[in-house]
Amino acid sequence: MTPKLKKSLLYWLLLSPLCVVILLPFGIMFVTALRPRDELFVYPPTWTFSEFRWENFAEMWVKTNFGGALLNSLYVSLTSTIIAIALSIPAAYALSRYRFSGKGLYRNFLLMTQMMSPIVLVLGLFRLMVHLNLVNSLNSLVVTYVAFNMAFTIWMLQSYFNTIPRELEEASWIDGATGFTSLVKIFLPLAIPAMVVTAIFTFINSWNEFVLALTLIRSQNDYTLPVQIFSQVAGRYQVEWHHVMAATVLATVPVAIVFSWLQRYLIRGMALGAVK
Amino acid sequence: MKSRTRIPTTPLLMILPSFLLAMSIIGYPILDLAWTSMQEVSRFGKMMGFVGLVNFSEVFRDPLFYSSLVRTVIWTVAVVGGTLIISLPIAIMLNDDFYGRGLARVIVMLPWAISLTMTAVLWRWSLNGRAGLINATLMDFHIISEPIEWLATAPLAFTVEILVGILVSIPFTTTIFLGGLSSLPQDSYEAAVVDGAKPWELFRYITLPLMKPFINIAIVLNVIYVFNSLPIIWVMTEGGPANGTDILVTYLYKLAFRFGQLGKASAISLIMFSVLFVFTIAYVLMVMRQEHDSADEEVKHDA
Repeated sequence: MTPKLKKSLLYWLLLSPLCVVILLPFGIMFVTALRPRDELFVYPPTWTFSEFRWENFAEMWVKTNFGGALLNSLYVSLTSTIIAIALSIPAAYALSRYRFSGKGLYRNFLLMTQMMSPIVLVLGLFRLMVHLNLVNSLNSLVVTYVAFNMAFTIWMLQSYFNTIPRELEEASWIDGATGFTSLVKIFLPLAIPAMVVTAIFTFINSWNEFVLALTLIRSQNDYTLPVQIFSQVAGRYQVEWHHVMAATVLATVPVAIVFSWLQRYLIRGMALGAVK
Repeated sequence: MKSRTRIPTTPLLMILPSFLLAMSIIGYPILDLAWTSMQEVSRFGKMMGFVGLVNFSEVFRDPLFYSSLVRTVIWTVAVVGGTLIISLPIAIMLNDDFYGRGLARVIVMLPWAISLTMTAVLWRWSLNGRAGLINATLMDFHIISEPIEWLATAPLAFTVEILVGILVSIPFTTTIFLGGLSSLPQDSYEAAVVDGAKPWELFRYITLPLMKPFINIAIVLNVIYVFNSLPIIWVMTEGGPANGTDILVTYLYKLAFRFGQLGKASAISLIMFSVLFVFTIAYVLMVMRQEHDSADEEVKHDA
């Protein structure tokens, strides 16, 4: 046995308890989503079941108003991502390319806003939205998600902007381009990968947010996915667990795949910016 | 970095929109909470007049506040401590080259990709006392002979919630540690190996001291996140049974949005905000010091 093989076996042995605990609930999610309703509560509980009921998904879609919640989540996450990126680009560019008084202060301000969690402010935010007449409007979520994500987006974008050589812009100024045209024509195209990666993480953050969506949205028709699924579980005498699990499969699997695929960019962005 | 002499207002105009939004969505509610906490507030949010610190003294006379506070400390210390102890060896393994490392990374990072709400819903069902498949699995392996009602009694439910809290904090913490490990100088290890150091000694005398700044940042960030975390406890037990798993955030949420005690809830928010503020300042100072250090290093490299 080569040393590397030996090491690999040892590492997998050490990692296996954690991997099992991480993967177990997902296994339970799939076998519950696919089993017939009357096999949910059998005694003793068992992993096996008689048939794959793919119809569960179709039933769930109708019964839990999954489509409506999906559209709400898409609207909120897409809109807040676009606005957050649009507001963050100039700020990140300023932090990356200019030297100005108050720059250090602004960076610390961003760090501090990133630490403020929605839950501590939730009552104040709720009262603010009442004043603005935005309670029950998905736009209240858009505004708050933009604000709470902006520290992250500015930080990520800035750390990537720093890696784009400034000589390219300087060359275009010499050729007579104004600051603005060189920004749009030279700089932003180079920054597209960074913006896409940052946008996807902002999207996932908004997609997964729970506390504000639970608080600011009061009518069932405007629920986003996490709140919609939570409302199928909480305060109910009878929970249709096969539907809940089918909904969870649809709400989590696509996001998990995209996240797993992109996680190394997050690690890189954090190494470049926030943590280092 | 060379400074360019342009109109100095340009960068300020560029940061202005984000600054204004942050001030109105994050800054204003803090002021509003401070104001509300000193008012008598009706169930429906109507201000009934200034009462000074009455809400605060009510909070400090409330036994449920103290039990939630104690549980918050247990929750934060246990989750952060457990996360750090598990994450460091995992990061060291994932930083090393072995067969299947890519797959291991994806699995370890998986809880990060799923919202806390969904994770908590999954665990609530998996731990179901009558039909949960955790019980089924443990019974199949003859570890238990009868199903356990995991979430029916407060101490057991709270323990389980702490374990789930650790599980979902591992990916982020491991990521910080991976960032730190990849920046460690390889030559000190080589020198130590030449001197005949054992793996444990390498860890104790090289890895651990050099990782200290990253461990500190992981501690502070995790304390902030875990202290504020509502979804796991809210979805799994809603602070119950009988307030037995309430931490400050769940208690605050109940006061504000179930019992309509807005004055008291604002007072608790403000108390939590102060705690958070201290940790945030600690974090900002740490980041500044680290940037300072790496700036020094750059100067050394240039020389």
